[in-house]
Amino acid sequence: MVPNTMFEGVKVIDFSHYIAGPHCTKMLAEHGAEVIKIEPLTGDPVRQLPMHKDGRSACYVQHNLGKKTMSLDITRPEAQKICHDLIRDADVVVENFSPGVMKRHNMDWQTLKTINPDLVMCSISCFGQDGPLSSLPGYDFIGQSYAGIIDMNGEPDRSPVFADLSFGDVSSGTHAYAAIVSALFHRFRGGKGQHLDLCLQEILFSYHDINVQLYHASGGAYTPKRSGASHDLAAPAGIFKCGERYLFVLALGAQWDKLAKTMGREDMLSDPRFIDLTARGANKAAVNQAVQNWLDSIGDPDQALKILQDERIPSAPVLSVPEVMEHPHTQARNMVRTVNDPVWGALKIPRTPLRFSAFPEIPEQTAGFLGEYNHEILSETLGYSAENIAALETEGVINAKRV
Amino acid sequence: MTRKHVLDGVKVLDFSHFVAGPHCTRLMAEAGAEVIKVEAQIGDAARHLPVIKDGRSGYFIQHNRGKKNLCLDLRTKEGQEICHELIKTVDVVIENFTPGVMKKFNMDWEAVSKVNPDVIMCSISCLGQEGPLSKLPGFDYIGQAYSGILGMTGEADGYPALSGMAFGDISTGAHAYGAIVTALYHKAMGGGGQFLDIALLDCLFSYHEMNVQVYDASGGAQVPQRSGHQHAFVAPLGLYKCKEDYLIIVAIGAQWNNLIKLLGKEEWADDPRFADPLVRNENREEISAEIERWLSTVDNVTEAVRILVQENHVPAAPVLSVPEVMSHPHMQQRGIVQTVKDPAFGEVKIPATPLRYSQFPDRLELQAPFLGEHNEEILRDRLGYSAEKISALQTSGVLNAKDI
Repeated sequence: MVPNTMFEGVKVIDFSHYIAGPHCTKMLAEHGAEVIKIEPLTGDPVRQLPMHKDGRSACYVQHNLGKKTMSLDITRPEAQKICHDLIRDADVVVENFSPGVMKRHNMDWQTLKTINPDLVMCSISCFGQDGPLSSLPGYDFIGQSYAGIIDMNGEPDRSPVFADLSFGDVSSGTHAYAAIVSALFHRFRGGKGQHLDLCLQEILFSYHDINVQLYHASGGAYTPKRSGASHDLAAPAGIFKCGERYLFVLALGAQWDKLAKTMGREDMLSDPRFIDLTARGANKAAVNQAVQNWLDSIGDPDQALKILQDERIPSAPVLSVPEVMEHPHTQARNMVRTVNDPVWGALKIPRTPLRFSAFPEIPEQTAGFLGEYNHEILSETLGYSAENIAALETEGVINAKRV
Repeated sequence: MTRKHVLDGVKVLDFSHFVAGPHCTRLMAEAGAEVIKVEAQIGDAARHLPVIKDGRSGYFIQHNRGKKNLCLDLRTKEGQEICHELIKTVDVVIENFTPGVMKKFNMDWEAVSKVNPDVIMCSISCLGQEGPLSKLPGFDYIGQAYSGILGMTGEADGYPALSGMAFGDISTGAHAYGAIVTALYHKAMGGGGQFLDIALLDCLFSYHEMNVQVYDASGGAQVPQRSGHQHAFVAPLGLYKCKEDYLIIVAIGAQWNNLIKLLGKEEWADDPRFADPLVRNENREEISAEIERWLSTVDNVTEAVRILVQENHVPAAPVLSVPEVMSHPHMQQRGIVQTVKDPAFGEVKIPATPLRYSQFPDRLELQAPFLGEHNEEILRDRLGYSAEKISALQTSGVLNAKDI
């Protein structure tokens, strides 16, 4: 039988909050998994993040599309029983509490694997489940600091800077997604369930495509350091100004020959200071100045960009987020997705970057209100009686609110 | 059946070069897949990136361990025939040429799916397989510029700043890996082969966890712009100076109350100017001044982080350099820095794979191949070529091999 979606029939119980975990389960939902998100009585704290309309957070909507929501007090045995019952019949559990919290609520891997040995459980944390830093409070930029990422951003003689976006969280969500699917594939081929221990710091550390190796293999002679708008080792490879706009220009190998000719600087091609990549890197100030002078002589960024791109010299305008959203290329690829939220109406978010020829469309999805599916799941999935559910409500084990 | 890892038995034909594609197939090899990397005569350009020792690149080693290597001329009919025969034997084909190049080699999705309808083909590109920008030469920072990432990095009044690592390439490799295992799972469940179009631009754009939505939902009133060492929309979330070092403080939830207590500014709890993270952001200069005033009274950054985190439960971290990360006790205990042994280079330290599976706690021993190292083995064992045929291909220059 050909499945109707990538993950038809895959059941996920999601205890995650903020961004990293929810991004992972959002990707699972976008490809057809059935995700039940368990939130505390006060809701996922991301519901407090902007923008808000009538108490509804657009940030929550972006990261929780396609999930059914329950709101339970998992410190209570009744709620833990509900979770265990749901997990018994699930394929995947995802959580991103601080290490130790799931154990406190009787839902650590040791407990869950006895309830469901085929389960794939993924724990996402900032520093991993063990090690001296593991119990620290973890946020994206904390992980970035400990991974040597932030130190690499910014001008050499000034404060480091950080990229104002969720580099670590979205990355971690994606890696967790990949690990979970790998484990599901393994299980389908006869393997057992297992626990996945993914952490932001380690995921971010893997982004050092060159720094770690360079520092070690050079015997410490080269220490990676932030280099602002220009690459530390190669030139031209950096951001230049043309008129009022910033342009990124890169010219390695044969592209450098084309660029020198385009700039009318054939003289540089025979100059020993610029003879190869290493030489140009060592004389990057002079190389970058030549590029800047040429851009100044053109003056108009659109014209400069056209000349460079016609010559197939790698180059791009540094776009703002609104410019990206309106760009014809972005539009042609439907990179900005419009979702319809019951409170917000139309809302724009980034489209998932995974594009499958067998499933070119992304399903229509909304994000659940707090506890929206409490009744449906308790009565239909677990067979609780109306009285039973009402009692849980009265005792404050479950909660619901239109936010 | 006992498997050595989650992708044991999965066969991959890899035409990728530089970083994005090779990172994807590195993750696959580390998960047990059998990867044959096909390189053009001159080899993957990454073989020339530093550090180079006796012609061998540490950079190439990091991104290509665990792959077998076939070096042939993709422009020749014979080279293409060998690839077509190999495509019949694999589950996955990966490439990251500029869109259009695989078609020139008779290996675009149309041709590949005719040769093997069950195959999963993943094309990784900077800007996607179609659309007005798709044919531009693509590198990591080009995608960063077009996705609005570079525009969001750096001081508000200065140049945007480059991140000193392959943010786009590694990210795209990981996304491609995720898409490929999804398609493998789907195929195992009864679905067929398919084509995956993974673009660096799309991946990077998905990192805007707030910017797109905030701009749209505010009706354009909130325009995301880089704000250097402070977050654009919420405060206090940013970098602060302590003596000669920097640290990051994130106190946007309940931790705000802990922070103001530590700063001796309890009165801010009832001050409407500090009512929530968004309003606080409008008054963040005042908050930063108080934080840095307090930091000036502390001995050093380590002590400041200790007081914030241990004594006051305010999330904070020192900004570590790469060497500091590599020698940190936490990273040592978790084995985040992996030492690999290369036959030519000797020991090289690289970041370990961040995917950890309880069923496969040990990492596979993997080595990066020399150029064309497995030419003979692959042609003989996989395709049944005779010794004569192989040597004829060598003589005519369709095949190449070199110890780099």
